[in-house]
Amino acid sequence: MHLTVEEQAMLDGRHGEVIARALDYLVQLGEAFEAEQLVDLSYAHYPAEMSIYHGSCEDVIAYAETGAKVRIPTTSSTLACDLERWSEYGCPQPIHDLQTKAVDAHRKMGILGTYTCTPQLLGFVPPKGANIISVESSAIIYFNSVLGARTNRGGLFTRYAAVTGKYPLTGYLITANRRGTHLFTLDLEPDDLAHDSDYSALGFHIGAIVGSEVPVLDGLPMPTQDNLVALGAALATSGSVTLFHAPPHTAEANSVAEAFQEAAPKEAHRVRRGDLRGAYEKITNISEGEAIDFVTLGCPHYTLGQLRSVADWLREDDAKVHENVRFWICTNRMTKRAADFDGITAAIEAAGGFVICDTCPVECHMRQSTCKEFGLPVPQVKAMVTDSFKMARYVGDLIGCRTAVRPREACLRAAVTGKLVQRKTAKSRATPSGGV
Amino acid sequence: MSTHTVRARGLVRGTVEGPALVCAKAFSFLGDVDMDTGEIIAHGHEHRGESIAGKVMVYPETKGSSGGCVVLTTLAKRGRQPAAIILEKPADTNMVEGAILAGVAMVCQPEHSLIDVVPNGATVAVDGTAGTIAWQG
Repeated sequence: MHLTVEEQAMLDGRHGEVIARALDYLVQLGEAFEAEQLVDLSYAHYPAEMSIYHGSCEDVIAYAETGAKVRIPTTSSTLACDLERWSEYGCPQPIHDLQTKAVDAHRKMGILGTYTCTPQLLGFVPPKGANIISVESSAIIYFNSVLGARTNRGGLFTRYAAVTGKYPLTGYLITANRRGTHLFTLDLEPDDLAHDSDYSALGFHIGAIVGSEVPVLDGLPMPTQDNLVALGAALATSGSVTLFHAPPHTAEANSVAEAFQEAAPKEAHRVRRGDLRGAYEKITNISEGEAIDFVTLGCPHYTLGQLRSVADWLREDDAKVHENVRFWICTNRMTKRAADFDGITAAIEAAGGFVICDTCPVECHMRQSTCKEFGLPVPQVKAMVTDSFKMARYVGDLIGCRTAVRPREACLRAAVTGKLVQRKTAKSRATPSGGV
Repeated sequence: MSTHTVRARGLVRGTVEGPALVCAKAFSFLGDVDMDTGEIIAHGHEHRGESIAGKVMVYPETKGSSGGCVVLTTLAKRGRQPAAIILEKPADTNMVEGAILAGVAMVCQPEHSLIDVVPNGATVAVDGTAGTIAWQG
């Protein structure tokens, strides 16, 4: 691999042993994938070491002791608890206490305490063509696809990339690897894509077909920002999709031909209404009318607009969450601060909901394995309703409950009635999308 | 007895020797192995109950969660990591990151499949830099 004078100096230890080791790791990674050089990164989204993983917090605490500091703007992904309101929803103190020490370590390293899966919604919007490194599959796919920034699926080496500002030129950092592989022609009516959850269904259907390759969606009607967040999160759940193109709405392709870089698709598929219905049916294993005890919105973390639409819906009928239902809306702290200021949080919580920051049900103590490991009683959750295929896919295994995916408005009705209600009724009142 | 040598793609540096643990199916570090002991715990696995610690693992490809690299580094902290990994298919960055941090030599795509060729338990030498695999048999 060719190294610049600056990189060689780093490797030779002229910037200290910590930087030398970090660069050595990146060179080894590059050599494994036959990268010819390293590139400069402008941004990193860092895996927030979580106290539900054994050794993870201890590891970053020790690393911060070395004096290592990030060299580029670095945001952080979700944690295992809400740092401010952890005691209000039954988070065990040991999970909080250990997590707080990791947060101190992050600050010491210069990592920004965003603790969210959607840093792109907090103003971290790298320009098209920027080389970055990101963890969190829903953020990765948004950066690559909607914004046209370039990132691979970041893992443990995100730390070494952040402290050196370097990454091997491999994978999705190379233009040729960003070429579309599979064409999906959408034969859908405007009605079929009325809700964020419909985009989630679309992503879940396509991701399962395309696996780890690059789908091109032809005929996507003008989406909102929220729609694209939902679509990407689901594509990266049923498949390990890192990049998609939906010309002309995504950054790199104004036309289908451009998305394929003028080459022919490997495979072509049509997507019809029945495919989306099928996705909803396949993921749902709660029957209509059955009692539910958990409603989760905010996977990925909700925006201020989405929070407002929840508050408005609850306020309009003076609705109250059913006494048997735990109702969480997950977001990040910056957004919650704005929601607090606007009276949105108060409206949601007066109705019996809980606006939770920094975490989500599958990353916190609600995970069965976490409880067992910490010797804690396993929270009893029987049936969860959510508007996200990503959340639904993971709760079955991680929390051990049954799930249903419904549009936001139907989730709200489930929260209020304590039952899974019809997908659509004549009387149903849609929530405003909230997205831009 | 003669020495067999096969070329592969070197992924992660390291020159090591150890008994072969040959698995016919894709391996998931998350779920298939006990993080504390290195014992294979997957139901129905041909080597269930055996340890991967110190072994030269031979398997077709890695499957499952990206948490797999965390499992590998956790095993290494307890000295229960494999000596080397020989993947028959191309590797993904996640496992390579894990192997680098865990100090596990790794090669992939040998010139021919080894699964029906290397006897389980045979002493195998792996050079992760040169990309060579050798055993007696």
